[in-house]
Amino acid sequence: MWLDNFKIAFKNIKERKSRVFLTFLGIAIGIMAIVALMAIGEGMQEAVVGELSSLSDTVIVTTADVTAGPMGGGISGANTNYFSQRDIDDIGRIGGIESIDPILFGYVLMDFNDEIQYVSVLGMNPGRMSEIFGIEFLGLESGEFIKEGDQNRCVIGYNVAHEYFDSDIHVGSKIILNDKNFYVNGIYKKQGAGFSTETDDYVHMTERDFEKLTGDKNISGIFIRVENVGDAEFIAAEIEYAIDENHGEEGYANAITMSSLLESVQEIIGIIQIVLIGIAAIALVVASIGIMNTMLTSVMERTHEIGIMKAIGARNTDVMSIFLMEGLIISLIGGVAGIIFGLIGANSLGSASTSEFMGPGMSLEPVVTISSIIMSLSIAIFVGILSSLYPARKAAKMSPIEAVRYE
Amino acid sequence: MDEYVIVTENINKIYGKGDIQVNALENVNINIKKGEYIAIIGPSGSGKSTFMNLLGCLDKPTSGKLFIDNTDVSKLNESELAKIRREKIGFIFQKYNLLPTLSALENVALAMSFAGVSVKERYERAEKLLDMVGLSKRVTHKPSELSGGEQQRVAIARALANKPSIILADEPTGNVDTKGGWKIMDILEEINKQGETVIIVTHDPDVAKRAKWVIRIQDGVVSAHVAR
Repeated sequence: MWLDNFKIAFKNIKERKSRVFLTFLGIAIGIMAIVALMAIGEGMQEAVVGELSSLSDTVIVTTADVTAGPMGGGISGANTNYFSQRDIDDIGRIGGIESIDPILFGYVLMDFNDEIQYVSVLGMNPGRMSEIFGIEFLGLESGEFIKEGDQNRCVIGYNVAHEYFDSDIHVGSKIILNDKNFYVNGIYKKQGAGFSTETDDYVHMTERDFEKLTGDKNISGIFIRVENVGDAEFIAAEIEYAIDENHGEEGYANAITMSSLLESVQEIIGIIQIVLIGIAAIALVVASIGIMNTMLTSVMERTHEIGIMKAIGARNTDVMSIFLMEGLIISLIGGVAGIIFGLIGANSLGSASTSEFMGPGMSLEPVVTISSIIMSLSIAIFVGILSSLYPARKAAKMSPIEAVRYE
Repeated sequence: MDEYVIVTENINKIYGKGDIQVNALENVNINIKKGEYIAIIGPSGSGKSTFMNLLGCLDKPTSGKLFIDNTDVSKLNESELAKIRREKIGFIFQKYNLLPTLSALENVALAMSFAGVSVKERYERAEKLLDMVGLSKRVTHKPSELSGGEQQRVAIARALANKPSIILADEPTGNVDTKGGWKIMDILEEINKQGETVIIVTHDPDVAKRAKWVIRIQDGVVSAHVAR
């Protein structure tokens, strides 16, 4: 019975290919949008979370009047509070800590080819530099990190190397910082406007060079690795407590763990995903109106045939199922095509957005999960049935005598 | 009452309401025995098509009772009426009314599919019926590829598909050329000889002449009921 109704529905569709094609295109675009946008959302989630997870054993401590980015280097603002050596020593006494890296921050004048710019400088333990900034998605574009004992050498950010001055700075170039000669040992990859802008506009050097250059030993941030990721939150709280105690001011220190950051980033991505799916849903609503329109036209055109079928004994449910099947076939074919287009679209959109927004260092691989395909297909089926329900009911309710008279 | 396939008791059919009320049929009392061959005649607008639609369970009387195979159909709901149409009635329309997207064979088989006949059985029977109406070589043709007479013969095969108690033919030769028309009448006569009740609505005296009984309807009233 169902198979017979399916065959009739299929023949009806074949009879009016071009109109059905347009309807089918509507649903295909809707489903395509869902698949592609979900894949990109999922890809974004994986890219960001994957990278942040590799840093989940990290705790970043800044003074509360300073903002810190997730990479520890994002120290900016006119900070007046600094950490003391005693703070560092106290942190060292907390159990479960693997390493402590104080980070010094300041501004200097940079002269290159007689052009002068203000730049931000970070001083840190050179042995730890590659540990902190050498991870895969940061890393160097060219050159090397500074080694222990290096003097007057620095690693500069992408923007400092390529944007700040008329001509590009290369590895080995001589730059002048506050009247002292420095040599460029390495240049960071571009991080772009993503979450890790902390290297693009910075000059990194050893603590000793930083002190020589600025005359200060202002510790603006502390970069801490814990032994056990599970203890990170607890250790962060202990650090805050210890430092606040030292300075006699509650909230003096602000210790951020990567896992708490991860949560908020995931939240943001979740919102982005909902927005993306919302956009796709609009496309789908339009598509479902298209199906309903096509089905209503089909019901009207077939009034006479509905009458014939009823006259020869078709039940209301037979008529209804024929029209439901028609809607279902259109949406199902549209859905499958939409998924295929979506896969293609996700890939091209993925590679485009990778180079456009994330910078060459970051890669956004769209991730298409089986569940997203099943979900899209279910949505297609649902939309198909839902939007042909009204037309199908209308067809089923027709009076056979009036329908058969209708020409 | 068992010998009657159709019994009507004071059937009235009224269209519209109030002042614009039209009595299409008034107090029709007709009993039709099994195996009869009846022609219903009358001028256009006389109510013969209305009567036909009532007999075919496409419509319900406003008042009165209509028994088909001892079932009072005047009280049935839409799905019960569909069951009667499916099992008891074979309809032949003036304009054939075949489904344009289906082949001759599929059109005949469709009626059986609504009745739940198995696929194998319905196609075997459809082929037999098409053979009976002389279309065994045209089974795969679509209605648009058949002449008017041929289409009407497919419609006859379809009407017979579910072994109905009554064959109702509404001007079956009205859209067919003379030669094709006689062929259709021959087939209907043959069906009647095999024991089927055949009721034809016509205004063609030549067609009416071949029936055993003629019912004349005029202004919604049965004015004559004569044996030939």
